[in-house]
Amino acid sequence: MRQPLDWQIATLKDVKPETAKVKSFTFTLPNWIQHRAGQHYDLRLTAEDGYQAQRSYSIASEPEQEGEIDLTVERIEDGEVSTYLHDVLVPGDRLEMRGPIGGYFVWEATFIPEPLVLIGGGSGVVPLMSMIRHRAVAGSQVPTRLLYSVRTFEDIIYFNELEKLRADGSGLEVFYTLTRSQPPNWNGYNRRIDDQMLKELIKPFDKSAQVFICGPTLLVEAAANSLVKLGLPVAQIRTERFGPTGA
Amino acid sequence: MNETSTDINHELTLDANATAGLLHEIFGVEMTAAPTECANCGNEAEVGTLLAFTHGPGFVLRCSACEHIVLRVVETPEAIYLDARGAVYLRLARSRNKPLENDALGG
Amino acid sequence: MSEPFVSRGFVGKRRGGTEKAQRIPPGQYLTEDFPVLSAGPTPHLSLDRWTFKIEGLVKQRVSWTWGEFLKLPSLNFVVDISCVTKWTHLDMRWEGVSVDTLLEHIELDRKAAFVTAFSHEGYTTNLPLANLINGQAFVAYKYDDKPLSPEHGGPARLVVPHLYFWKSAKWVAGLRFSEKDRRGFWESAGYHNHGDPWKEERYS
Repeated sequence: MRQPLDWQIATLKDVKPETAKVKSFTFTLPNWIQHRAGQHYDLRLTAEDGYQAQRSYSIASEPEQEGEIDLTVERIEDGEVSTYLHDVLVPGDRLEMRGPIGGYFVWEATFIPEPLVLIGGGSGVVPLMSMIRHRAVAGSQVPTRLLYSVRTFEDIIYFNELEKLRADGSGLEVFYTLTRSQPPNWNGYNRRIDDQMLKELIKPFDKSAQVFICGPTLLVEAAANSLVKLGLPVAQIRTERFGPTGA
Repeated sequence: MNETSTDINHELTLDANATAGLLHEIFGVEMTAAPTECANCGNEAEVGTLLAFTHGPGFVLRCSACEHIVLRVVETPEAIYLDARGAVYLRLARSRNKPLENDALGG
Repeated sequence: MSEPFVSRGFVGKRRGGTEKAQRIPPGQYLTEDFPVLSAGPTPHLSLDRWTFKIEGLVKQRVSWTWGEFLKLPSLNFVVDISCVTKWTHLDMRWEGVSVDTLLEHIELDRKAAFVTAFSHEGYTTNLPLANLINGQAFVAYKYDDKPLSPEHGGPARLVVPHLYFWKSAKWVAGLRFSEKDRRGFWESAGYHNHGDPWKEERYS
């Protein structure tokens, strides 16, 4: 019954810029265990005098990627750990991590046949992307809709990959809402997530969807409350609050 | 729907998922999918649904229905303190490989 | 592993401070912020139902409404605050009523040696009476010249600057005097009963 959750030393293999403030970090792990989409790793930093800082980051990569994991991290202006990852860490550097962690905010392609609704705000899209990538690799045809809220077009993480996946005919639909400013000729949503938007989002699935909502706490709570009002059973809604809105 | 708030404390609220690593350390198994019952209002839900307040001297997990404390954890250099008085129970499922005590074949 | 792993180039956000170093208790770092730390959702108390009570081992219980409380003589306090979560903020400016002023309105039983400060939402913290009197504690309703915000314990909180900040009960509802020491919310789950930052009395 007991499964050890030990710290291990991961090595940074690669860094990929996603947007101006967001990067994806690929780490190789000596004790890699296949994770489930939606899980996270805890990272721990230790200074020379023993001072420690610890944060949790959702795994962005699919479980099927062996031996290494991708973490997508937004750089928060006065964040202790995110600024270290963005500004100091280089490939070859090592980091303490433990995981994979989480049993509640997870989705597996084979076990859950209900249509999937994913709602993400800002870097809240990261665990949802793990689910989307896993869905693609597993060859799942589960009808899936992602509603992704960011401030501007340039803030969309994984844009090219999402566009490619939504065109592959597997039943993935992607809706973006840009809340602060939109490029010319934009025909997506242009406002904060609200009741009407959610109503349109879940319409084809009626009340059978399994919903995952991740992002800033206020966005998550507002969306969850709205869906409950629209008649979605509470048990079908899983949330992961990220805390305050990032920088 | 109102996303704006001047209450930073509200914005700092997380789900118990944020404490999953610590709970795993205490119980030796993943806990966020474990069913629990709130001792105050009787709400039955998974530990993952509890609201987590993690910015104080300890972690406090509260019932999402009535907001009463279900679990409280304090980490000190020497120990971990767990207060589970707010939970009627925590249900930890057995792994499938474990033989039952009374199973004649299991010995 | 005998030696802990050290992360290359990681320093963390702490600032030790230079000329102010002697004012920072051991193990603390200096901040200009006022971090919000809590164990639950912010209560939003209505002023017309707010009361502050003194009860327990007193000859007669006493209670103030908000209007009555504001009429009590108040003082401006500039104090250094240290939280057990390691931040220290120097020269924080408060306004409120000294606990000494409040105690002028009651007669303490001779056996009253300990106090529990209790909040409107269930929080408690304990102190010896000796730590609460003679200018060591006050009930503050203004911070930095503005009404104390709910996230920071408003409308009123206890402030006991010489002990770790968890003793400064937010949303304070009153003081209860007793003969025996009764450990409060954090003191009963791993935190030090007394909490002197200069002796680093963090944990029990």
